[in-house]
Amino acid sequence: MAGPPVSTHTPSDGPAPEGPSADQQRQMEQAYAQMKRKMAMQSLGKRIKHKIMVLSGKGGVGKSTVSTGLALALAQQGHRVGILDIDITGPNVPKMMGLDGRRLHVEEGRIHPAQGHLGVKVISMAFLLDDDDTPVVWRGPIKLGAIQQFIGDVEWGDLDYLVIDFPPGTSDEPLTVAQSLPDIDGMVIVTTPQDVALLDSRKSIGFAESLKVPVLGVVENMSGYTLHGRAPAGTEVQIAGPGGRTHTATADDDGSFHVTLDLFKQGGGAATAEEFGIPFLGALPFDPGFVRGGDDGVHRIVSDPEGASSVAFGKVVAAVQAQIGQASSTGLEIV
Amino acid sequence: MSEAMPTLTRLERRQVDLHLTYDDGSEFTVSYDDVRHACPCAKCAPSRNDDESSKLLRRQVEALPPVKPTVRTVGNYALTFEWEDGGCSSGIYRFERLWALANRQDPDGGKPYVHGAW
Repeated sequence: MAGPPVSTHTPSDGPAPEGPSADQQRQMEQAYAQMKRKMAMQSLGKRIKHKIMVLSGKGGVGKSTVSTGLALALAQQGHRVGILDIDITGPNVPKMMGLDGRRLHVEEGRIHPAQGHLGVKVISMAFLLDDDDTPVVWRGPIKLGAIQQFIGDVEWGDLDYLVIDFPPGTSDEPLTVAQSLPDIDGMVIVTTPQDVALLDSRKSIGFAESLKVPVLGVVENMSGYTLHGRAPAGTEVQIAGPGGRTHTATADDDGSFHVTLDLFKQGGGAATAEEFGIPFLGALPFDPGFVRGGDDGVHRIVSDPEGASSVAFGKVVAAVQAQIGQASSTGLEIV
Repeated sequence: MSEAMPTLTRLERRQVDLHLTYDDGSEFTVSYDDVRHACPCAKCAPSRNDDESSKLLRRQVEALPPVKPTVRTVGNYALTFEWEDGGCSSGIYRFERLWALANRQDPDGGKPYVHGAW
């Protein structure tokens, strides 16, 4: 054998040098993505000035309506607003914001939010579902991963307010957000005036305390339904309301009268707020326009900016802003 | 305990310990060994349930080199410590836990760890 004394081999012949296996490669990529996400979450604290969580103990009290209402009312004031719909299994913010069927735009691994009415940026699980009827059947850890992606991988840009809409209750979702997002200004708790809803909102208040997230206050939704009618001027009109109560109204000189019926009860939200020593942010009337608006994708605030509901929302937003002005974050200096 | 707890305003990472300053003016030092030994994660916490395994955890912690951890806030209610030397970095330390450590009290409040009991 007259071969050269020193073997000369190119990388193509013989066994390749030990590189990471496909599995290790994937793990490294995952770890890198996780690290990038953590850093992005930290920087989010600086780029988004105020973060508001909207919660309720009970379902069906109108959290999404209040969240979208808050976002739109803030946008009306000229603020840059985003809304994060964390309700993974029942996302409905996009429908209310007229973004039904829209897809999200992904660029260089960053998710770009869709823009709804008044330029409000929206992120929701609904954008990722193939059709409206597909259920999301996920256990906690997968949900947790999705939420962290929604927080860390979304390119929100600079925002004045981020409103976060949660599913009802005090489970994984608000816990994950409270752990992932730095400097949350506080929680707005939505309730309706009946006892069951109030009982559940008390749990939300306890939950906020255990997470050290300030409670900005309680909003009472579906607070009363105002009937408008006409009768000859000066006529006294009697209306049988819920609970056997009779409401009396007198038609004014123009011949119009109005009566506000308490469909559930009255003043429960204010009473709960007082009991826990937290602010009462205001009451929102029962307005069928919200239902129509929600289904048609045109929020009441957009379609009727001067209406009673918009005025009520304006008051709630002013109360929230007053609270945020007073709220303080941890303010911890780490050196 | 949490009723009377002051707010942590400053946390200084020194060579072998943390220097904590609270808003009522009180100051404390907590060694990194104590912090690591009091890790509340589901892997470390059960080790403190009985004396023998707790001592073993203590010895394992003390065998680790003294490194400054990376400290991050968790929401408004807790901190995490990331140790570059591979020591457990999973625990979420509520401010109450740090306050207990600062005051040389049992951070677990004398309660054994039970999985899923939180």
